[in-house]
Amino acid sequence: MLELLEALLFSTLDAAPALIFAALGGVLSERAGVVNVGLEGQMRVGAFCAAVAALSMPTPLAVGVGMLAGAGLAMVHGYLSIRWRSDQVVSGMAINLVALAGGTFLLEALYSPNGTPPIQQLPRWELPGLGAVPVLRALSNHPGLTYLALALPFVFHALLHHTPAGLRLRAVGEKPHAVATLGLSVAGLRWGAVLGGGMLAGLGGAVLSTAVLDRFEQHTPAGLGFMALAAVVFGRWTPLGAFAAAAFFSFGNALRIGLASSAPGLLDVIPQGFLLALPYLLTLLLLTIQGQRSSAPAALGTPYEQESR
Amino acid sequence: MGERWRSVLPSLLSVALALGVCWIAIALTRDAEVAGEAYLQMLYGGLGQWPRYLETGDVGTLTRPLGEAAIKAALLLLTGLSVAVAFKAGLFNIGAQGQMLLGALLAALVGAHISLPSALHIPLALLAAALAGAVWALIAAALKLMRGVHEVITTIMLNWVAVSLVDNWLAIGPLRAAVSGGHSISGTAEIHPSAQLPRLLGDLSRLNLGFLLALLVALLVWVGLFRTRRGFEIRASGLGAEAARTAGIAVNRRTAEAMGLAGALAGLAGALLVLGTEFRYPGSLGAPYGFDGIAIALIGNSHPVGVTLSALFFGILRAGGTRMQLLGVHKSFPELIQGLSLLFVAGRLVWLTLLRKRRAVSASTEVPRA
Repeated sequence: MLELLEALLFSTLDAAPALIFAALGGVLSERAGVVNVGLEGQMRVGAFCAAVAALSMPTPLAVGVGMLAGAGLAMVHGYLSIRWRSDQVVSGMAINLVALAGGTFLLEALYSPNGTPPIQQLPRWELPGLGAVPVLRALSNHPGLTYLALALPFVFHALLHHTPAGLRLRAVGEKPHAVATLGLSVAGLRWGAVLGGGMLAGLGGAVLSTAVLDRFEQHTPAGLGFMALAAVVFGRWTPLGAFAAAAFFSFGNALRIGLASSAPGLLDVIPQGFLLALPYLLTLLLLTIQGQRSSAPAALGTPYEQESR
Repeated sequence: MGERWRSVLPSLLSVALALGVCWIAIALTRDAEVAGEAYLQMLYGGLGQWPRYLETGDVGTLTRPLGEAAIKAALLLLTGLSVAVAFKAGLFNIGAQGQMLLGALLAALVGAHISLPSALHIPLALLAAALAGAVWALIAAALKLMRGVHEVITTIMLNWVAVSLVDNWLAIGPLRAAVSGGHSISGTAEIHPSAQLPRLLGDLSRLNLGFLLALLVALLVWVGLFRTRRGFEIRASGLGAEAARTAGIAVNRRTAEAMGLAGALAGLAGALLVLGTEFRYPGSLGAPYGFDGIAIALIGNSHPVGVTLSALFFGILRAGGTRMQLLGVHKSFPELIQGLSLLFVAGRLVWLTLLRKRRAVSASTEVPRA
């Protein structure tokens, strides 16, 4: 029993960081009022570029390349939705499609249809003193980014709710005109949030190709970006809420895989597909109960126009 | 620049720019000759191998590619219309994929488990698919109207629920075809011949009645949206809910109707796939048709005529994409062209500004100086 718990905890911690980073990226962008449906595409580009970079440089550096790539794709989103006031969902879906098809094309043209050659994985950290403790042992032996993913939501919470910059960022998502009246740049704040969000989504993708796997595969990130989007909404646009939701989704996934391997009989009673659907069904259920009007940033999805009031 | 050109030109320019960018991409990864040849093969694959036809006189070299293009176009047209109708009502339907999946499943079940003469069987299967898609979409509509949950998030969630429940459970579990003759197949049982959409050209092409059905549906959607009072009210609700409500339009009702119609259209796409070419629910749909629908709708400016043209064009590219593989160019290339087109269409305002600037400049030079 304890062993099962330990295995579950370990695989949750292994899979969660990608989702946590991307969800934080979503929170950042959406709190500033810019819908980010393009998380999936940003993750994909981040994962691809990190894997390609890691073929010719140390992996930790390659992760940085993945972050920059995510930000690069986010820049397209920012250009269309902030500079040109395009529909943010359209622009987000467009960068998803381009990342999907473009990644497939480049992968095929440069490597093989299935994936890049294997790369050096990120080093894993042995936490001193935990190696012998049952259950808690699962906390050890993860890449450094996993520990960053566990700390970052709290840092974001502090930044967003207890610093002037965080207040401005939130204000731009609620009442951009008020922010403009104070002489602050609405576009500047939104650009910062969108680029930061892209970097985080790129980081989430990079984790997939450099830590969870040791290469970029054709199907990476396989819908995790959309799941991160769900975590943003499920977590009511707060860093800690999104963190909890991402951890919950990852745990659910680890549980499903763990059950499938350790208790195959159970899958005769509860079908695998139903377990797969569970996080999404729960999200829908929670949204049905609480509604969404209360928690979404007020100006989410509305392009800022100086003339309009 | 007339109003009509203002709405069409950005899409045309976007598609042209996407074609250009992709040509350069092939030219850079391979060389210019391959890029030119690839585009030529793509056209042959979508519009018929004219050189082969002129050489051999074999009509099949024309009808086979054209049939494949028509099949692809019909699916793109219906999912595109699904997204477009929702858009007209001010809704973003990202859920066409899930709605199509349920439509396909229901069409497969009605096709396989009910015995009827063709004249009844096909309409019944189509109806079941449309209803299934509509119900799935109406969940999102209900959550939006009653709880204020944005349809983008619910339709994404409903996509995943549909994929998980159908592809990862029903199609490989309870509804899986009975194993016969030693080898097992994934997916549901094959539908009865009476439910299969008749082929229009016999053995010359896989072209089936579904293509004509899709065109007919596009015509009906156009009439419904632009020539009926209800359609006007749907569009008015989409343009401004508050103003429409003030004018006495039952906005919530119209919104729900539009979303239901959107789901029904996506469901029909699923039916066409099953009744026209797959003849069973294949275990997974195989391609993200629902997401393609978003691109098709937006490139077609969410107008039934535009969506039809856009679906035909990308149907041809899609069918031709398989032929590009002969040159070692990946068959996902048409998807890249489609994605880039959507990206450039998303910058519609950029295009309009560029075009306006040029006009403004040329106009100003014509002003005589005092």
